[in-house]
Amino acid sequence: MLTLSGIFAGYGGGDVLQGLDLEVPTGAITCIVGPNGAGKSTVLRVVSGLLRPRLGTIELDGTRLDRLGCAGVLGKGVAQVPQSQALFPQMSIRENVLLGGFTLRRDKRLLNQRFERVADLIPIVRERSHDKAGNLSGGQRRMVEIARCLMVEPTVLLLDEPSLGLDPMSLTGVSQLVRDANAAGTTVLLVEQNVRLGLSMATHGVVLEGGRVRLEAPAHELMANPEVAELYLGGAPATHGAGAHPTVPQPVDSGTVG
Amino acid sequence: MTQLVQALVLGLLIGGVYALMASGLTLIFGVMNIINVAHGALLILVAFLTWKTWSVTGIDPILLAVVMTPLMFGVGWLLYKGVLSRISGSSPGMSVLLTFGIAITIEGILNVTAGNKFRSATPSYFSQSFRILGISLPKAQVYGCIAAVLVLGLLYVVLAKTWTGRAIRATAQNPSGAALIGIQASGVAALAFAIGTATTGVGGSVLSVLYPFFPASHYDWISRLLGIIVLGGMGSLAGALVGAIVLGLAETLTATYVSLQWSTLIFYAVIMIVLLFRPQGLFGSRLRQDVMA
Repeated sequence: MLTLSGIFAGYGGGDVLQGLDLEVPTGAITCIVGPNGAGKSTVLRVVSGLLRPRLGTIELDGTRLDRLGCAGVLGKGVAQVPQSQALFPQMSIRENVLLGGFTLRRDKRLLNQRFERVADLIPIVRERSHDKAGNLSGGQRRMVEIARCLMVEPTVLLLDEPSLGLDPMSLTGVSQLVRDANAAGTTVLLVEQNVRLGLSMATHGVVLEGGRVRLEAPAHELMANPEVAELYLGGAPATHGAGAHPTVPQPVDSGTVG
Repeated sequence: MTQLVQALVLGLLIGGVYALMASGLTLIFGVMNIINVAHGALLILVAFLTWKTWSVTGIDPILLAVVMTPLMFGVGWLLYKGVLSRISGSSPGMSVLLTFGIAITIEGILNVTAGNKFRSATPSYFSQSFRILGISLPKAQVYGCIAAVLVLGLLYVVLAKTWTGRAIRATAQNPSGAALIGIQASGVAALAFAIGTATTGVGGSVLSVLYPFFPASHYDWISRLLGIIVLGGMGSLAGALVGAIVLGLAETLTATYVSLQWSTLIFYAVIMIVLLFRPQGLFGSRLRQDVMA
């Protein structure tokens, strides 16, 4: 269980997260939704160690994460795919993915094993192995970013806006990857502006407002919630249960905030 | 024809030495966005230390690079940890101001301790040449170029083939992306600055033999070196090599066929023309993501 308790954090102009309490169940896909500026991405940054909280604690199965920094958090099995531009554009895709195993670099055999496994899972890693990452499309880049994270076989995967800028085909691929990673035992915490897509992938949903949790429920309940439907789903509650439809919903704006 | 070959060979030898001197500057910019204006002053500092050691002990000045390089690695590490880390994340303009302060401090110390006059180390081979197929190759230039090739080769191997090098390149290209895969950005930055400064250990030792210098010579050197890395593409090691060879060839060909006074002007003219057509420099690449809206 990933637990955030009483988190206050921001970027110098006041706290974005204002006493956030959140529990992410082990083995679940938890999706955080909310309006722009609610602090959704900030939650991921404090967990991954990119941003140190001013107050509060973050624990993974009883181990404190909030003072470890990025390398320490990664060492505990928590990996983040940020919102955009996470790759090293001048390096080949192979190098990018191998660098995902930077913390395993002393064990060359394990590193190669992991690379082969990831390349089997995400074909683009092998197909465009020698291309520069900066020449990939948005969807391809996202695939490689996830591939890079999988090199450490994370116990918790943090995904910031996995649908951002993707066409429907790429969305399907990325959604499937997330589900596959989860089926393999990885806990997923994702932030999504496309509320319909996010909640359809998730088992748990969290609505964040003003840096605090406003609502927390199983994802299918949240999708059926009239208030959520009114604010984030264009007024109509979803007619299907979360996770029941692996296909990606139509990429219409009605499910997108901001 | 012999004159042309002679000029081309000399240009390549000089270009190799320029590349050695520019390599650290471009590495530091590439990783940290720091325009290290003190790079020229550090070269002159090493040239002075080399000259002094040579004049007292008689040890070959180019061989002294073996001592100067680790010494300058330490100086670079301390400079980064003590001074430059404080402007980490600031604009390159801030780094120009700060390193310019370091440069004039070094110049002032050299003026006070060593005096404001020209020096040059003149080992026994200083005025000797190898003669191959009618071409004269000054021994000092050849030794300097060999040192440059060794250092540049080592730098390439470290950057391309080792995990340390990958970490340096990753941090240069995407600091937050590097942090997310467990690379400690501050450690990598200090290491890159130290390696970049360590190149002045070899560069300054070679400089002490090939070029007369005095404390304020660093202004001339930093102008040339910045010109080289702008021409090659800021942050690109291959670009620094090509930019340096262009400068070396421009200097020797102009000096041979026109006049020595025009040689530097021609180089800057080449820079202007190249930048008109390739603003990113010769080796500054533009990827798909660079042109996406």
